[in-house]
Amino acid sequence: MLLDVRDVHVHYHKVAALKGVSLQVPSGGIVTIIGANGAGKSTTLRSISGLVRPSSGEIHFEGERIDHLPAEQIVARGIAHVPEGRRVFPDLSVEENLRIGAFLRSDKAQIERDIERIFQRFPRLKERRTQWARTLSGGEQQMVAIGRALMSGPKLLLLDEPSMGLSPVMVQEISRIVADIVETGVPVVLVEQNAGLALRLASYAYVLEIGSVAVEGPAAELKTNDHVRRAYLGA
Amino acid sequence: MSDFLLQTVFNASYAASYMALIAVGLVLIFGVMGVINFAHGELYMAGAYAVVFFYAGLGLPFLAAVALGLVFVGCLGMLMELVLFRPLRTNPLGGLIASIGFLLMLQTIAVLGFGLRNQNVPPVSQGRITIGGAFLTYERLYVIVATVVLLTALWLFLRRSKFGWALRACAQDREAAALQGISINQTARYAMFIGAGLAGVAGAMTAPLVAPSPFMGHTVIVTAFIIIIVGGIGSLEGAVVAAILYAFVHTFVTTFYDGVIANIVGLLLMLAVLVVKPHGLFGVRERA
Repeated sequence: MLLDVRDVHVHYHKVAALKGVSLQVPSGGIVTIIGANGAGKSTTLRSISGLVRPSSGEIHFEGERIDHLPAEQIVARGIAHVPEGRRVFPDLSVEENLRIGAFLRSDKAQIERDIERIFQRFPRLKERRTQWARTLSGGEQQMVAIGRALMSGPKLLLLDEPSMGLSPVMVQEISRIVADIVETGVPVVLVEQNAGLALRLASYAYVLEIGSVAVEGPAAELKTNDHVRRAYLGA
Repeated sequence: MSDFLLQTVFNASYAASYMALIAVGLVLIFGVMGVINFAHGELYMAGAYAVVFFYAGLGLPFLAAVALGLVFVGCLGMLMELVLFRPLRTNPLGGLIASIGFLLMLQTIAVLGFGLRNQNVPPVSQGRITIGGAFLTYERLYVIVATVVLLTALWLFLRRSKFGWALRACAQDREAAALQGISINQTARYAMFIGAGLAGVAGAMTAPLVAPSPFMGHTVIVTAFIIIIVGGIGSLEGAVVAAILYAFVHTFVTTFYDGVIANIVGLLLMLAVLVVKPHGLFGVRERA
């Protein structure tokens, strides 16, 4: 397993946000975490990328324990996190936003190639490369956030609600991009409230309910699971 | 009359320069760390005392004393980051209160080391530029030149270098910056060195002109706060523009009326700006 989350608990002050979450991510494909607001989806990603520290449990990446490391060292190991709400740097240009994703890299020539690749993948960003990120639409900002994460040259990409607040057309665009990224060999952990979309894209899924895993299984199976259908697919 | 006007413009340019150095440092520290550094006026004072010690005392060349002042005060800034602001990062008021404590310590150290009296710093140069009836002494000109050079260098650093981007990214969204592999501790250390160092240079460069005293920080910190509020808290460009605006208004009112009226007008200027633009001239949003 590329990523192995074992019985992780997270507390915000005294309140438990995660009550023993375990999940595994293989080195290819999309694993999705679905669930309602406040179920702990974002907290799970935040504990993996080091933004919050688990109060107990272990997180292993490529066989090494990472749950005690600060966020910047976890990026260095190859986990890129596109946070909820995109969080692009509003007063940096599009290109500066992308380049800062490569902050830890020093292979200049390869960075230039990667920038060009990202501009090929997102032609809209190339047109807007000198604009401040704050002036972009939500979908374009999501592209910047994903592009910025890819610039770190990740071995694993964590995506938190990439479809949030986007138009249906843009949601399709983003799902195409996510499928594309997986195709290039970077596995993805996708957190989504849009369970239908997530289950279409993913190969394996975890359903979080109030801080723990309620159901898990291959995405195709969960699509036909009665509980999942009733609670998340509106069927 | 035109000589008189030109003279006032010279005076205002000088005042705008060293205030811009102080205010920009204060904004940089606030931007990156979210801390209001109340001891900033005392960092300015420490820079002045570096010149008192190295130039007036040890007889080193003035520029060397200024450079030592920059490094010394920059290091004071890094020390503040390490022992005060870092442990208190999660406490929104902690850094501010700790910086008030540090301010008192710096004042006390200056009193113990140099006494209560104003220090006499020998003139660096007697030269002056004369245009008509107005003149600008070289000493004041050096302050203006140093400010332009340092602020240009800072601007280039922030726009062109990777660490400059990291600093700006950190100021805009600390958590997102950490996700790019930017170390918050390292960035905060840089910001403190630069911010404090700029205040130190302002103090060092003006030392021959102001007769340093342990309490000289008081007057500049109030002005610096007005400037960064007018400019828009968090905006470096705003701080520079507001420093120029404030210095010109203040100097002109002082010259044509008097200093007390000038202080009142300065505060009214701040109120007027806040009524029209509550986030200041260049402020765009509240910090997250």
